[in-house]
Amino acid sequence: MPMVRVVLSNGFSRRYTGGRREFEIEAKSLRDVMRALDKLYPGLGEHLETETTVAIDGEIHDEPGYFQKLREGSEVFFIPKLEGG
Amino acid sequence: MNDVSTTRYKWIGTRPIRPDGVPKVTGRAMYGADQTFPGALYGKVIRSPHAHARIKSIDTSKAAALPGVKAIITGADFPDHKFEYIGPERVAVNFWHVTRNVMAREKAYYEGHAVAAIAATSKVIAEEAAELLDIQYEVLPHVIDVDEAMAEDAPLLFEDMITRGVEPTPTKPSNISKRLEFEIGDLAKGFAEADVVVEKEFKTAAVHQGYIEPHATAARIDADGQAEIWSSSQGHFVVRNLTAKLLNLPLSDVRVTPAEIGGGFGGKTVVYLEPVAVLLAKKTGRPVKITMSRDEVFKASGPTSGASMWVKMGVKKDGTITAAEGLFKYQAGAFPGSPVMNGCLCAFAPYEIENQKAVGYDVVCNRPKSAAYRAPGSPISAFAVESVVDILAKKIGMDPVELRLKNAAKVGTPMIYGPKLAHGGYIETLEAVKNHPAWKAPLGPNQGRGVASGYWFNGGGESSATVQVNTDGTIAVATGSVDVGGSRASMALMAAETFGVDYSQVRATVADTASVGYTHVTGGSRVTFATGTAVVNAVKKAIDDLRARAAMIWDVPVDGVVWENGTARPASSNVGDFPPMSLKEIASKAAQTGGPITSSASVNAGGQAPGFATQFCDVEVDPETGKVTILRFVAAQDVGTAIHPSYVEGQIQGGVVQGIGWALHEEYIYDKQGRLDNAGFLDYRCPVMSDLPMVDALLVEVPNPVHPYGAKGVGEVCICPPMAAVANAIADATGRRLTELPMSPPKIRAALDAAAD
Repeated sequence: MPMVRVVLSNGFSRRYTGGRREFEIEAKSLRDVMRALDKLYPGLGEHLETETTVAIDGEIHDEPGYFQKLREGSEVFFIPKLEGG
Repeated sequence: MNDVSTTRYKWIGTRPIRPDGVPKVTGRAMYGADQTFPGALYGKVIRSPHAHARIKSIDTSKAAALPGVKAIITGADFPDHKFEYIGPERVAVNFWHVTRNVMAREKAYYEGHAVAAIAATSKVIAEEAAELLDIQYEVLPHVIDVDEAMAEDAPLLFEDMITRGVEPTPTKPSNISKRLEFEIGDLAKGFAEADVVVEKEFKTAAVHQGYIEPHATAARIDADGQAEIWSSSQGHFVVRNLTAKLLNLPLSDVRVTPAEIGGGFGGKTVVYLEPVAVLLAKKTGRPVKITMSRDEVFKASGPTSGASMWVKMGVKKDGTITAAEGLFKYQAGAFPGSPVMNGCLCAFAPYEIENQKAVGYDVVCNRPKSAAYRAPGSPISAFAVESVVDILAKKIGMDPVELRLKNAAKVGTPMIYGPKLAHGGYIETLEAVKNHPAWKAPLGPNQGRGVASGYWFNGGGESSATVQVNTDGTIAVATGSVDVGGSRASMALMAAETFGVDYSQVRATVADTASVGYTHVTGGSRVTFATGTAVVNAVKKAIDDLRARAAMIWDVPVDGVVWENGTARPASSNVGDFPPMSLKEIASKAAQTGGPITSSASVNAGGQAPGFATQFCDVEVDPETGKVTILRFVAAQDVGTAIHPSYVEGQIQGGVVQGIGWALHEEYIYDKQGRLDNAGFLDYRCPVMSDLPMVDALLVEVPNPVHPYGAKGVGEVCICPPMAAVANAIADATGRRLTELPMSPPKIRAALDAAAD
């Protein structure tokens, strides 16, 4: 299972993880990441799913999708959702 | 104008005649106000004359008794919603707020706020009934300006609003809805390393998107609860979802048909009239049509924020920018939700700066709730940051393009929002400007040149498309994306390219909410990227089906059939000696090979590349009148691949023109009672043709490998640089730095007088 680095925004970490921003997680997909974080902080997975945009190795995805694949060393940033005009 | 892409593709990059052109130039295109239903009633919204007032009572009895009046509704007729922020942070939707913006309940928060609505058999009767409504207000103190709204003693819009994002949680209410903070590096270290540090304060005026077509809707709801809405919007699925949510209806009971749209620019991504029309239709049992006047558009629909900002940046003598800090305070209007987060995230994004900090405040005030406007939030902060970058360049004696090149963001640059930049394109826009012959052209007396850059995220997300291969070999492509900027042409181009058929064989349309899968708004510069991907995926599925049918006709395995240049061919001579079979030939055998050839695809598209733009302009400032004339405007933008270059150029030119208006003319002007003084195009001064030079759009193509044809969003980043480019040009011409928008003649005159002193 690939080991990936996961980073939450300041706001999310303050609200949901007692200030902890960075995690090393074994995950093949974003679904694995959200499951692992939800196990650590029950309810966090739902918040991430609905309230964030995700950047995987810099590539921005408007919504975190279960199907998004990860590789060894991937960097996953959950950032506040963006919306355009 | 430059032609691009045509060497790589047959259709992508060409400029066919727009498919929506004939109905539009012959006046037959159906816009929002053109649709009506037989027996429709006239709907009129009654609006608050006060900027801030408690609604003590609404007596509808006299108005309701007027013959011809069929229904009157107030906020009490709408279902109320729980006070909670649902969903994404930037657009954290609180339906307690949304329902109150659609129709006021306890208070009217701005002049023009809807307080009641009437359905009557004619306009005259509805207007007479409006006069008979007895609405008692308790007028309250109001506040418009963002700095005044943040003051300790400011009148409060919400007596219980506690600022989010502040620790410890404040104990006193204020008009500050939210505080945001983003930071990377070590700011103190960065500023200590700088040889020159510049800090300045800036203000921008609230401006309206200024779409030509006012909001309009027609709605009916049958006895079985099935509602039908026709409206002009940037996203009929979002109109459906918001209307259904506000009225507690199942999504499947609301069908929305998109009208042609006469401009939106972000302002038509929300609802104002649709829930009102449906509720009136429900009460009366008859269809209802409501159209906003221009006065209502200005007073009641979302402009973008006015803002107050402070930016500080430090640079070494060699041009390395070592630190950047910004404080961005944006007006949200009457309810929380300004685009200040985008302003914070985009402010310094064109640059690789090790140490950055951006703090944002979302502030409510007695103005209409802000709505998205092209790259929402980014143009505002870009005005401040790009002005400071210009000052830095002058202070260290460096060409402003060279300074930007030295610090340009590239693939791998750490961004203030966390990840590293995954796509380039900015440097190429700077090179395009630097190499443009006009960049070094001589200037005359009272003339100046200014350059500025901009960044916008661009969007992806959910989109759907359906493809039908007709038996005569023509192709129908239907998507859920409202065509704001030429998407029907670009969808048809991508479909023709993928099929390998002639463009003239493909007809693209926009389908209603019951006829195609969910598709998010036409906004965020997302359609060519996301919906385009859905179209290409649907075409690929159709091609697989065509291959399978050719295999059936030839009686060979499907793996033995390949698709090339619009025809099925045997994969090798081992498969058999068959002449290529055209799409038309296969389609003509649809019935015999399994029935109609159709396919659909839906995507949640990610990996969109951001947009970068660099623009320069030449201005002449009349020292007597303070009038600024734009002599030249050159706009370079990374567009990925220009699918239909004419539309891309149109987007860039339109963005620049709106930016020029924002820079020089446009502003909401309020009287002492908080009432808008210039709610019309005569007094709200959008640029007109005689104000403008030809805008030279330079299409820089750095394809996005994630998209099948390399497309990037193009509709928004073009409005980010113009305000600073014009300000920098004025500074070059006059030696005076203007820091407040609009840079209208009185402000220029005042600056020149100050110089004379």
